[in-house]
Amino acid sequence: MQKFTRREFLLSLAAGMGALAANQFLAACSRIADENGSTSTQAPTVTVKTPAEREGDSPAKEANSVPMETPIGLPDMVVARGAGGDDVSPEELVRRALVGLGGMERFVSKGATVIVKPNICVGYHSYEFAATTNPWVVGALVKLCMEAGAGSVSVMDYPFGGPPEQAYAISGIEEQVKAAGGEMVTMPRFKFVATEIPQAVDMRQCDIFDDVLKADVLIDVPIAKHHSLARLTLGMKNLMGVIRDRPSIHRNLGQRLADLTSRVYPTLTVVDAVRVLKANGPTGGSLDDVQKIDTIIASPDIVAADSYASTLFGLRPDDLAYVQAGAAMGLGRSDLESLTIEEIAVGS
Amino acid sequence: MAADARRLRRRHSVKRTGRRWVAIRKLSQYLALLIFLVFFVMTRLGGERAELLALPMRLDPLAMLAQLLSSRAWVVGSSLALVTILLTVVFGRAWCGWLCPLGTVLDLFSLNRWRVRSGPPADSWRAVKYSILVVILVAALLGNLTLLVLDPLTLLFRTLTVSLWPLLDQVVLSLETLLYRFSSLAGPISTFDSWVRPDILPTEPVQYRQVWIFTGVFVGVIALNVIAPRFWCRYLCTLGGLLGLISKAAFLQREVREDCRGCGLCTDACPTGTIDPAKDYASDPSECTMCMDCLEACPRSSVVFTPSLSVAAWNEYDPNRQKVLTSIAAGVAAVVLLQVDRFIGRGHPYMLQPPGGTLNDMLTKCIRCGMCMRACPTGALQPAMLEAGFEGVWSPILTPRLGYCDYACNACGQVCPVEAIPPLSLADKRLQVIGKAAINQDTCIAWAEETDCIVCEEMCPLPEKAVRLEPKELVREDGTLVIVQLPEVLGERCIGCGICEYKCPVEGEAAIRITAIEGEIVY
Repeated sequence: MQKFTRREFLLSLAAGMGALAANQFLAACSRIADENGSTSTQAPTVTVKTPAEREGDSPAKEANSVPMETPIGLPDMVVARGAGGDDVSPEELVRRALVGLGGMERFVSKGATVIVKPNICVGYHSYEFAATTNPWVVGALVKLCMEAGAGSVSVMDYPFGGPPEQAYAISGIEEQVKAAGGEMVTMPRFKFVATEIPQAVDMRQCDIFDDVLKADVLIDVPIAKHHSLARLTLGMKNLMGVIRDRPSIHRNLGQRLADLTSRVYPTLTVVDAVRVLKANGPTGGSLDDVQKIDTIIASPDIVAADSYASTLFGLRPDDLAYVQAGAAMGLGRSDLESLTIEEIAVGS
Repeated sequence: MAADARRLRRRHSVKRTGRRWVAIRKLSQYLALLIFLVFFVMTRLGGERAELLALPMRLDPLAMLAQLLSSRAWVVGSSLALVTILLTVVFGRAWCGWLCPLGTVLDLFSLNRWRVRSGPPADSWRAVKYSILVVILVAALLGNLTLLVLDPLTLLFRTLTVSLWPLLDQVVLSLETLLYRFSSLAGPISTFDSWVRPDILPTEPVQYRQVWIFTGVFVGVIALNVIAPRFWCRYLCTLGGLLGLISKAAFLQREVREDCRGCGLCTDACPTGTIDPAKDYASDPSECTMCMDCLEACPRSSVVFTPSLSVAAWNEYDPNRQKVLTSIAAGVAAVVLLQVDRFIGRGHPYMLQPPGGTLNDMLTKCIRCGMCMRACPTGALQPAMLEAGFEGVWSPILTPRLGYCDYACNACGQVCPVEAIPPLSLADKRLQVIGKAAINQDTCIAWAEETDCIVCEEMCPLPEKAVRLEPKELVREDGTLVIVQLPEVLGERCIGCGICEYKCPVEGEAAIRITAIEGEIVY
């Protein structure tokens, strides 16, 4: 026993302590690098392009950057609505909306790594309270991705209240995702990596979840709900779930959300407005604040999707600071009149 | 020649029997430790099996007896401790040698190589555990449970919660962070992480303040092995003392047969040093942990464990009238001294109880096991230092700046083995008023800097938020007109969960804090 343990003990001790020490050392190094970096960025070498200049840019082909051009004959956005009646299935709304956009195959190629990012901000209530994305909407998207031949579909969020596994279960999303063949993933700390945001106006660097950066396809599935600072939580606000440093993004929230969006641009944004939370967001908890409007907004243009969603609350797109900032950065269009929007009535 | 061979064979078979018993004992020890660890891991967040999780702690007769004396309330589950009593009545201190997870840890880190030359302290030191035991029981009768911090099960569980698990988490996280930088390892590391989180290690770190104290106590208990094997069990363990007293009349006792040749191998092998050559290698059943090491060491079959109906002799170090009376006096004096503290009655403004608990419950029922702290997913429950006076040391205190009471969680009350925190349904827990929030307008970003912040309002989990935002037109110093949303607490709604204080972006002390109130328990 003794002879056996000493070597084992020393080896494991060395491994553990070595890792701790190495990590401390590397952390110290990156602090020095940060300091160097901050001195260099003091020189205003980054020029911010005006929206007009951006218009001239060709749409970038790389993932996570700019919306792809709408193929001829397809709408910029599809809005699927339940045509009255109580039994409108959220899944049907999603399916019809995606058909309108040209099918999930347009966004998900065979073998692609897909991340679906719903809003699972807290684990306090079930989906009826409209604080978290409708589980069947998420489930339908997972199914569509699988049907399109995706290699893997992971679903994740980084809740601010309670542990993620609790929020995943209580929201009902875990059950639907698993049934659809997707995977619920929690977001461990070490995978948030320091990332430059080249297009940023304000927030030039941010710790972003690595899987999201590496994924082939990111599908942003916010639930449309009230928020007292951003006014509404929609697609761009929902992207906050892929970063850890929430306090810092709250300063100049509108611009910083647009900066973040420029780096983790979703391939597809699907706004869940099956139920909307009209007050006491983002946490909710009272059914009096919930309105069931059976609506799904889908578009590869996140700014456009958010713009349309704002009208569901009687607001104009420009009432949302992040929509304004996003449009100004050329991340999408907020002038709803100039978009081709296909509206579909689903159900009886 | 034939006789010699026979004797040799017999000796070998004796050796084998002893070895087999020791192997079985070790298996039992490791299994018990493993089960203890599994229960520990599962305690996080409680869950549907919460009632079961208290099982190891409820097997502890000292904690259960002291708690019963102190609270005068019978927790049905605590009857499980009778199993341990019964075990001891039949097998003596087998609990210590075969089951106790702390005892197993002390065997694993026996530090045999570093043992001091001077040998173990005098036998009279064995009396220490009995003195502490009497003080604990007397104090318990007077409604005080402070010294249960010295119970072996609470000690181990608390150390695992506060110190060892966060440390393990830190090491694993460091390794993961380090190896994740190498892109070829990113895949395997992700897979590994999905195995260990969130079931074994949490996704979010849960850490505790003053970890060094808890680590220090634990390391100290192990380090005492340098002086004598199982130093803790011999001289200090109060649970061992209680079981030892019962063991005097244990049914199964160790006996040395007359064919003993006095080789002394058993004396050397005995981890508790209770085999006395001066008494024909007899042992004290109060000290013997039934570990069977002597059986293995004996070259003949002179050591046997046989049924016996006699009560073992009283030793010099065993409690006598004088010692017991002195301990009683010490216990009474200590408790009275604690009560004289000016602290009591005034209370600490930030001494927040777990949901549904009262300070009185914490002092008279809490056995300091740390299960609630382990169950709490956010690290809101921290070991109290001196906020509740010395009396409340290491009972749970809700510390919102370090963690908030999760609106969807009622785990602490579910796992508490003694119902010091009442086992409330989630709906009932949500009604408990832990304290009340109050905003410091001098430091609040919205009030003091006239800048929108709203985090406290955003975070408030109540369906009708207890923080209201009042838009106010303000003229800044430079003359510009701004509309700032100023947060205000609606006191009658607030339940004091503390997520506003936890998330408040003001550096240092939060601009919104939960203050203790004289709350009524709502059921």
